[in-house]
Amino acid sequence: MTTCTPSVSLSHRITAGCDENACKCYQCKKCTSGCPVARYAGLHPAQIMRAVQLGQLDMIFDDKFIWLCTGCETCTTRCPQGIDIAAIMDELKIMARQQGRFPADTPSAAMLKLNYDSFVRWGRMWEVELIARDVLKRPSSAKAWFALGPKMLLKGKINPTLKKGDTVAMKRMVQTAESITKAREAGGAAPAGDADTGGES
Amino acid sequence: MSTTLAYYPGCSLHGTSGEFDASFRASARALDLALQEIPGWECCGNTAAHSINRLLATALPVNELAKVEQDMKLDAVAVPCAACYSRFKTGAHEVDEDAQTADDVRAVVGRAYGGGVTVQNLVDVYHDAVGLDELAAKVTRPFSGLKIACYYGCLLTRPPKVTLAEDPEYPTHMDAVVKAIGCAPVDWNYKTDCCGASLALTEQSIVDDLVARILTDAKACGADAVAVACPLCQVNLDGRQTEIVKKRRDWQPIPVIFLSQLVGRAVGVSDKELGLKKHLIDVMAVMA
Repeated sequence: MTTCTPSVSLSHRITAGCDENACKCYQCKKCTSGCPVARYAGLHPAQIMRAVQLGQLDMIFDDKFIWLCTGCETCTTRCPQGIDIAAIMDELKIMARQQGRFPADTPSAAMLKLNYDSFVRWGRMWEVELIARDVLKRPSSAKAWFALGPKMLLKGKINPTLKKGDTVAMKRMVQTAESITKAREAGGAAPAGDADTGGES
Repeated sequence: MSTTLAYYPGCSLHGTSGEFDASFRASARALDLALQEIPGWECCGNTAAHSINRLLATALPVNELAKVEQDMKLDAVAVPCAACYSRFKTGAHEVDEDAQTADDVRAVVGRAYGGGVTVQNLVDVYHDAVGLDELAAKVTRPFSGLKIACYYGCLLTRPPKVTLAEDPEYPTHMDAVVKAIGCAPVDWNYKTDCCGASLALTEQSIVDDLVARILTDAKACGADAVAVACPLCQVNLDGRQTEIVKKRRDWQPIPVIFLSQLVGRAVGVSDKELGLKKHLIDVMAVMA
């Protein structure tokens, strides 16, 4: 790898998004030692933190790690600098999704979106729908489902039906959250009056 | 005297973990806990929301907390799913910590949440809402020293700044609960290691690795069964064994039982109501 000069702009963008300061990391690697999925990706958590400090966004986006992160919070719990590392992983996922940067063979990125769309649509997440849509998009996943799915259905472990949540309230909350988030990204402050109008309903 | 708790089942307890819902409700009834399900509850946003829209991820659980506080007028909610529990605790923590977040969340939810609701996970309900002495006193069918590895997984205790867990690296409150119903908790090494969670939907071979490592240690430390308090942990630790055995012919399966099923059985709930036959790895041999 070529030599890099630290560029604080990426860590500042991370701080703006999730209020966590990656500059505090001194590479003790406790996050990596405790990470359940570090061994399955090209980069491990401490390397991600260093790449953030160095402004090496491509390095992060070209690797699977952030999409294997389960959000188990072990890194966050153990960081001696008190950095919420799992929140930084979330922020990197948000940035990658905004830029459409997904490395090859990361079905977890699409699965998170299927999951999000499912609860936005129904008010509740419908597990069977996730599986069905995943198989349609990614026929190779069918093998894994057919290994376990029928056994679970036979045991009555899976309830294939859905009881919807309050879809009207869900739609309103999603729209408001997305518009406030967009306004903050664009100009810092949310549009004036948002908090007041929300308080009426 | 009965205690009343609001109840948030969450999507999994209505989907792949009906027996968790049924056994929790039945055990609560036997323990004189009245549960009131939050009317028209929404998904808490689970793993997906906080990696897609941070504000929505905080607002969804806070909306449920506001319903409990202002519509139901209750001061505690039982959230047996560990992932939902984590989102509830995180949401409450974030609006409490940061005024800007609190303002934004108020705009999304449509009203302010006053912070007056205690969020209890499955272990908290038995350990605190019921209490260990009261629980022990209601046991009609005690286990006779069944050796249990209590698996806490990730989100019952982490991150401790949110959960306020006393010992996030080696918790013991679930151990105390199983002891109160006659089981013998074992000391082991993987109490709080991640099972792979929702990677079970996309990266099954990683989950098989993680699950095999956790269960191998539970068995090596003398456990006859593993107790869990999370629907995803249960489905992974139980279900993935049927795949692990294909890769490792010498694999000895170990039952993975919801804490609510163990407690339910000890306080006299029927096996059928507890859904004991829904497991892929048989649990009846150790429950006898």
